[in-house]
Amino acid sequence: MNTPVLLSARGISRSFGGNAAVQDVTLELHQGVVTALAGPNGAGKTTLFNLITGHLVPDRGAVELKGASILGLKPHRVALKGIARSFQDLRLFGSMSVYDNVLSAIEPTPWLWQPGGSSGAAARRLQVERALDATGLAELAGTRAIDLSYAETKFLSMARIIATGAPIWLLDEPASGLDPASRARFVKLVRDATAAGVTVCLIEHNLDIVTELADRIAFLDQGRKLAEGRPDQILGDAELIAIYFGERRE
Amino acid sequence: MLLTQLAVAGIQTGMLYALTAAGFALIFGATRVFHVAHGATFILAGYAFLEAVQLGLHWSLASGVALLLAVAFGLFMDALVYRPIQKHEGSFFTVFVASFGAGIAMQALIQFFFGGGFATISVPLTRAAEVLPGLYIAPVFWVALAVVVVVFAAVSLFLERTHAGLGLRALSENPELLRAYGLSARRLSALAFVLGSALAVPGAILTTVTTGIQPADSAHVMLVSLAATVVGGIGSIRGAALAGLFLGLVENLVVSVVDTQWSQAASFVVLFAFILFRPNGLMGRAGAR
Amino acid sequence: MIAYLVNLATLIAIFGIAATSLNLLIGYAGIFSIAHAMFFGIGAYVAAQVALTVSPDFLVAALAAAVVAGALSLCLALPALRVRGEYFVAASLGLQMMASTIFAEAHSLTGGVGGLVGIPPARILGFDVASPDAFLVLALACLAVTLAVVRTLMRGSFGRSLMALRDSESAAEAFGKDVRALKTLVVVVGCFFVGIAGALFAFHMAFVNVESFTLEQSVVLMAMVIIGGAGTLTGPLVGVIALLSLPAALSFLPFIPATEIGTVQQFIYGALMTALMIFRPSGIVGLSRGAR
Repeated sequence: MNTPVLLSARGISRSFGGNAAVQDVTLELHQGVVTALAGPNGAGKTTLFNLITGHLVPDRGAVELKGASILGLKPHRVALKGIARSFQDLRLFGSMSVYDNVLSAIEPTPWLWQPGGSSGAAARRLQVERALDATGLAELAGTRAIDLSYAETKFLSMARIIATGAPIWLLDEPASGLDPASRARFVKLVRDATAAGVTVCLIEHNLDIVTELADRIAFLDQGRKLAEGRPDQILGDAELIAIYFGERRE
Repeated sequence: MLLTQLAVAGIQTGMLYALTAAGFALIFGATRVFHVAHGATFILAGYAFLEAVQLGLHWSLASGVALLLAVAFGLFMDALVYRPIQKHEGSFFTVFVASFGAGIAMQALIQFFFGGGFATISVPLTRAAEVLPGLYIAPVFWVALAVVVVVFAAVSLFLERTHAGLGLRALSENPELLRAYGLSARRLSALAFVLGSALAVPGAILTTVTTGIQPADSAHVMLVSLAATVVGGIGSIRGAALAGLFLGLVENLVVSVVDTQWSQAASFVVLFAFILFRPNGLMGRAGAR
Repeated sequence: MIAYLVNLATLIAIFGIAATSLNLLIGYAGIFSIAHAMFFGIGAYVAAQVALTVSPDFLVAALAAAVVAGALSLCLALPALRVRGEYFVAASLGLQMMASTIFAEAHSLTGGVGGLVGIPPARILGFDVASPDAFLVLALACLAVTLAVVRTLMRGSFGRSLMALRDSESAAEAFGKDVRALKTLVVVVGCFFVGIAGALFAFHMAFVNVESFTLEQSVVLMAMVIIGGAGTLTGPLVGVIALLSLPAALSFLPFIPATEIGTVQQFIYGALMTALMIFRPSGIVGLSRGAR
């Protein structure tokens, strides 16, 4: 834990119609470190992501990127600051080709065309091709996203993030439902990224993947952070594991 | 007195709008179908009543015919248009366009057989009497008032007291609850179309005997129902009814300030303002975005 | 017969531009506007006023029409930014109804119900393009330019961004897309082009009044886009040709009285819209949605 804090959420809370979805949670993401968010369904993990990325605005608390507040910024502004995220339900651009899905993810300017002329376009094409190669989707470049198989959609979701070159990735159940071979490929993708300095925070239910990838685990339940620590500390805590597997104490 | 006279006219228009809009809102609330062919239901009922009376039927039987046709059209749309679309894709806009198309087709059909002009029958109810110095009210006003009160009471009772009524409300609020009630969503959606379409009938008949009806009313009724549903708050039947009354009043009262040609536009100024500044409407739940 | 065909072809070109521009909103950006006739009308009135009072030069009039329509389209962009789905459809309907009333009542600008008459024949840089043939060439040229621009934009990053936000707005935002700017821009661009179509229409008819810019016209434009195939380049054109050829085709059917052709035509496109939504929601040209 010696690398500097890149992204932090301090004391953030958010409630919906009286129900607290996230309550006074503090989370720090250190450069190059993989932090896993664990906890049962409804613990507030995805809400926490949404609060960081600006898809939701916290009722209280601070969100800082390299010490500068990004609280209250619109999602696209947060994205342009280098925070890339995936969605649990993927939200691919269904009618577009695999290639265009990735290309569009790295064309941020809303105006009629992107700056940088033809050299900029060539650079973006190269980025797309690299991301497609890394995720094994190169041969499917022309296929529409809605025509992909389940595992392919998962990797397309990853390819969009890889292509952005963002230094921070927030991944929402990126490996759920993958077969063992695909899971191994996914683990390698994340390892390669962290080796290159990427900071990752992932929501994951599969404890095998968590132990394999995570340097730290933050454990959430009912909107609160119950514990944070090294995987062996968290996964060795019988009480947390009981909550995780639904044997809720009264 | 002019203002009072306009208010009376506004209330009369508004009551009919309220019923029709409540039908639209009921269908939308329960099935999430933006049933813009509701306007076609309205003119279908109006012309059916007119035709039946001209064929010599008693007004009560003629009303029955109108009710029957309106309900049949609603069920037809539910079973043969919306359900197949929702089965394979069901995006909001696909359903909307289908409904719009059916509305246009029905309007054209009626125009083909009955012509595009106003059609009306004269009944003694519409002869206005001076109830106060300078204030004229036709007996039909009281008839409309009575009909509206009775129909709303009946619908409220149905929605609040019966098993199926509770199911309809559950359908709009939380489809999961349906299983607990042991009701089928399909049957309930048919029920919503039956009730919603039936709610257009009183307005259609009363319009036919007061101002007369024309095929172009289809679009107008559709727009008013839609406006009332949005202004009232999508998902709220009571809100839609209230907003219908409000829009009828606005349409008539603005005449005291501007020329009559602007009166219809006034409703849409209200609609537009609501969407921009209070998209959840008078009584709606959150969820415009 | 030739004169008739030239007239039909000119109308196809004009409505081709209008439908293509609406397709930018409906097909690519998922902004379901039913107020497009309003901006078609604004273009036509502005061009007519410019021709009547400033200069009969088509380029001047069309540019003015496109700029004014594009600027006023911010009225449509505003609700597009704030609400979606049913709410936006309702807002655009409200806008269209207000516009129809203003067109009919603002006598000094639009000539009221009587409309603006005596629009001078179009000229371009001093050359007369008033003959039907020359005007057809002008209309086709405008259509070609519109198609070329739309094609270039939609195949570029702008088109991808629009489709991305149509497919998933939150994901588009998560990848840095400024949804407000994109929506505003596409509304302005769409209305800019329909302004040009309006200018062509004004010069072609030599007369404009509110009848051409009502809710019915908006619905016809929407039907053209949807029947042809929203979100495709050629779909709207196919829709325009199909719907504009319909009256001609119907007039060959002896059993339909001439006075009822309009009604029958309405019935057919209404029924066609419904049937297509049931059996082929992506339109004549559109791709099938494919299995998930």
